[in-house]
Amino acid sequence: DGVAALPAPQNLSVQSTNMKHVLTWSPVVVPEEIIHYSVEYQGEYESLYMSHIWIPSSWCSPTQGPECDITDDITATVPYSLRVRATLDSLTSAWSTLKHPFNRNSTVLTPPGMEITKDGFHLIIKLEDLGPQFEFFVAYWKREPGAKEHVKMVRRGGIPVHLETMEPGAAHCVKVRTFVKAIRRHSAFSQTECVKVQGETLPL
Amino acid sequence: LRRCLISMDMRRMEESFRGIKNAIQAKDTFQNVTILSTSETLHSIKPLDVCCVTKNLLAFYVDRVFKDHQELSPQILRKTSSIANSFLYMQKTLQRCQEQRLCHCRQEAINATRIIHDTYDQLEVRSAAIKSLGELDILLAWIEKNHQGTSAA
Repeated sequence: DGVAALPAPQNLSVQSTNMKHVLTWSPVVVPEEIIHYSVEYQGEYESLYMSHIWIPSSWCSPTQGPECDITDDITATVPYSLRVRATLDSLTSAWSTLKHPFNRNSTVLTPPGMEITKDGFHLIIKLEDLGPQFEFFVAYWKREPGAKEHVKMVRRGGIPVHLETMEPGAAHCVKVRTFVKAIRRHSAFSQTECVKVQGETLPL
Repeated sequence: LRRCLISMDMRRMEESFRGIKNAIQAKDTFQNVTILSTSETLHSIKPLDVCCVTKNLLAFYVDRVFKDHQELSPQILRKTSSIANSFLYMQKTLQRCQEQRLCHCRQEAINATRIIHDTYDQLEVRSAAIKSLGELDILLAWIEKNHQGTSAA
């Protein structure tokens, strides 16, 4: 029937940072036409026990792409297979499948943002809200030889947390890293930030 | 004696179950029958048997219930897939416990899970699968209660 087959999307890959996972691919180009894409996934359970089952992605079946936020689909720490196809009116391409299944335990964990403030003599920290999967390991100490490092686990970002009452004239320093229980991994520590009760934030 | 405790994304599983509970329980045609609750013994499982019963119950759901369910609706399929893959991950975590011989199965534990299998077998398979899915909250609550504390795995 002479209808040109629609090429399948190519170069599928997943970018994942701080438990946000985005599937991307090279767009299929047909001059003056809008191409739609459908994304489907299979967890390890499906590939082991129900290999005929592919599940339409929550947000991208269909989408104009060429990317798809699959964060809400990747909900367990097991390998997930992902596939994409293109559609144009009644034309549908073959499926393209991600070469290697994606596991969320490979996500890149970045040191969290933090805001250190003083409320009188009180040292207050406010951490970046990265979502319910993230806990924060906060280390803080008084900057003097032999000072003891204190630690506090903060369960949720986005809310001010009191760390300690500072001594006048002494510099107090803080660093923080994230911990994600679902994948049992933590990020690197953030830069250390120090404050002095009567001064500004001191450079390192 | 070190216990075999598995850590899990309970919040996500409970969220997934809440998403399907009404739809699944509405399809349950045998309201006067229960699969997990017949084993009142589930609540009388001793700490020593928790690992074995957990292992057996995860296998029951992974090997039987989710497969027998055969769901077509994408919305429900996403939720059951989320739970099924989380159970698969928990099974792998328990596997490490077994390798450290922390997951011994005594007769009491074997009997408790046999009751569940026997009750499941008495129902038509799809009805049994739907009922078992509808009772996932019982299992999740039992797992959460018995696997709190520092994970040995």
